[in-house]
Amino acid sequence: MIENFLVGTATLFGDPFTIGIFIFGVLGGMLFGAIPGVSMLTLAAILLPFTADLSPAQGVMLFAVIYCTGTYGGAITAILFNIPGAPENAPTAFDGYPMTQKGMAGKAVGAAVLCSAIGGVASALVMMSATEPLAQWAIMNIGPPEIFALVFFGLAVASSVGGRTIWKGWLSVLLGLLIATIGQDPVGGINRFNFGYSDLAAGIAFVPAILGFFAVSEIFIQAEKNVSGKYSAPKFNVDFPSFFELWAHKIAVVRSIFVGFFCGILPGIGATLAAFMGYGEAVRWSKNKSEFGTGKLEGVISSETANNAATGAAMIPLLALGLPGGALTAMMVAVFQMHDLEPGPLVFYNSPELIWIVFAAMFYANLSILFVGLIETKTILYLLKIPFQFLAPMILMLASIGAYISRGLVLDVIVMFIAGIIGFLLRRSGYSIPGIVLGLILGKIGEQNFAQGMQMVHYDLGTYFSRPICTILIVAGVLTLLKSLHSAFFQKPKVI
Amino acid sequence: MGKLGRTDIFEAVFWLLIAIIFYAFSFNFNQPIEIYKFGATGWPRVILFLMALVALGNFYHAFSKGSKAQEGRVGAKENDDPIEYTSASQYFKTGMVLILPLLYAVSLKPVGFYSGTPIFIALIMIAWGERRVRFILTNTILIYAILIGLFMLVLNAPLPQGNMSPFYDISAFMLKTKTQLDQMF
Repeated sequence: MIENFLVGTATLFGDPFTIGIFIFGVLGGMLFGAIPGVSMLTLAAILLPFTADLSPAQGVMLFAVIYCTGTYGGAITAILFNIPGAPENAPTAFDGYPMTQKGMAGKAVGAAVLCSAIGGVASALVMMSATEPLAQWAIMNIGPPEIFALVFFGLAVASSVGGRTIWKGWLSVLLGLLIATIGQDPVGGINRFNFGYSDLAAGIAFVPAILGFFAVSEIFIQAEKNVSGKYSAPKFNVDFPSFFELWAHKIAVVRSIFVGFFCGILPGIGATLAAFMGYGEAVRWSKNKSEFGTGKLEGVISSETANNAATGAAMIPLLALGLPGGALTAMMVAVFQMHDLEPGPLVFYNSPELIWIVFAAMFYANLSILFVGLIETKTILYLLKIPFQFLAPMILMLASIGAYISRGLVLDVIVMFIAGIIGFLLRRSGYSIPGIVLGLILGKIGEQNFAQGMQMVHYDLGTYFSRPICTILIVAGVLTLLKSLHSAFFQKPKVI
Repeated sequence: MGKLGRTDIFEAVFWLLIAIIFYAFSFNFNQPIEIYKFGATGWPRVILFLMALVALGNFYHAFSKGSKAQEGRVGAKENDDPIEYTSASQYFKTGMVLILPLLYAVSLKPVGFYSGTPIFIALIMIAWGERRVRFILTNTILIYAILIGLFMLVLNAPLPQGNMSPFYDISAFMLKTKTQLDQMF
């Protein structure tokens, strides 16, 4: 492994053009992740056609680097503006934004930098040492029933955070699941809920919906405060967390690495679920559960470690099985296909140099989060000083371009603003936007794997539950739901 | 009426209506799938059933405990202090904040990005309470220049050009100028 890694490193840093692409990916991912309104997906969508002119290794490496640094970059906007750069940064905003409101933005961003780097580097190391055995394990043990069970568990966790009550949490998740059913059904390809619009046959695209629910709705909330004279600019602060503050959360970091890696390795699940599960587990094991959501450093640490730990793991099903774990890894499949390659087990034998240059680049990209991130962070915190009247139209315009570019459809911009209005109204009433988005992302994956699982076991639930991983995850999901229901019926409302 | 508020009743009606309307529409694609017993409607109908059930739970919760946040709910703090509306002008201002971007999106097809964007940027600043003419003009030009510089000149991103004269002609002029600049450098 070490020899292969050194060969990958030498290939990466032996060619000035490849170094240039690496640096572009690191800075581009961080920048597009950290600019509110656009995300790493916007950059990836713009760059996709240009990768045809690169070698396969350079193209895939560029996207892998953007994936690592963009996942970190999205935490910045989640913390500073309550606008997660990507769905995987949504749980970061739960505690990150309250920290900004309390004048602790520097601590939150500093923790995000460090934990993203730790999670990413740990994940890259495991990925390098164990891709093949882990892929073998996944092939043997993970099938559609397990993926459906994990989706169920993830949705149960998501419903328990964000909404004002458990009922509102669940309604948010169910709305997301319902939106995900728009378009063709995953088994028979039958059009559902397209209301006569042919553009809706492909379903509601993730990017505009996510931009609408997160970025646009937050701008509307702030604009409402602005026109009502209640807007107050977040407090500016560049104090980083001390070593002891971070060391106190070492267990949360290790737990989130495991959770993130496990979620990332499963095809189709990706970093989003990892972040929710990492955050959910931090709440579950905490002695002071009520402090979460009010600006607790552990919330930022758990979420950011888990989502970056999933980046390396997400490469395992992509490279070993050819199954993408999210939108960006799906674009990587397109890069492979542009060069007449198919990701899958044969890539390890036919193009080992490609695999190891990607692994090495991901390792160094995660390391660079630490160094470039710490330098960049002090500058980026000055975004808080930009007047809202300037920043808000800028974010809306960037979001409009981001929504349009991915498919070239004006419909997507309209969908984004409608999602923004719905998100604004639902947030005012105490519903959970991350819950809606997770439902939207996992809905299709859940339905597809449920259908495949049911066909596999010939609709026999006994066989379904004879699979241990599946049973454990479903039982964990049911227990999470029962606990939430218990508190809904027997707990007193909060006294404010 | 227990602890019910007007919003709670509205919310319950809203969710139940969604469930009923979508259920009615599900008959449009109620076709069997040979290889899958539950068909195309199975999954959405379970979601709609659960939505109706949870909406009733939400209604019961509001009835018995009011609409305050449950103890220990993570991430619910931001919703605890909504803005109270006291005048019609407040409704109008917030309405403009919500509607203007949607109008911009709808106008993108006929008007295009290049012509519609500066007007929208200026209008949105006015709608959000900004009245300093110089601030509006300067920032509109600055934001427009950043967007054109980044997406049109550097990233070469395809943006909507519009299909109505004279907006289409303006877009064509800008793209032609960009091509000439590319050829010069």
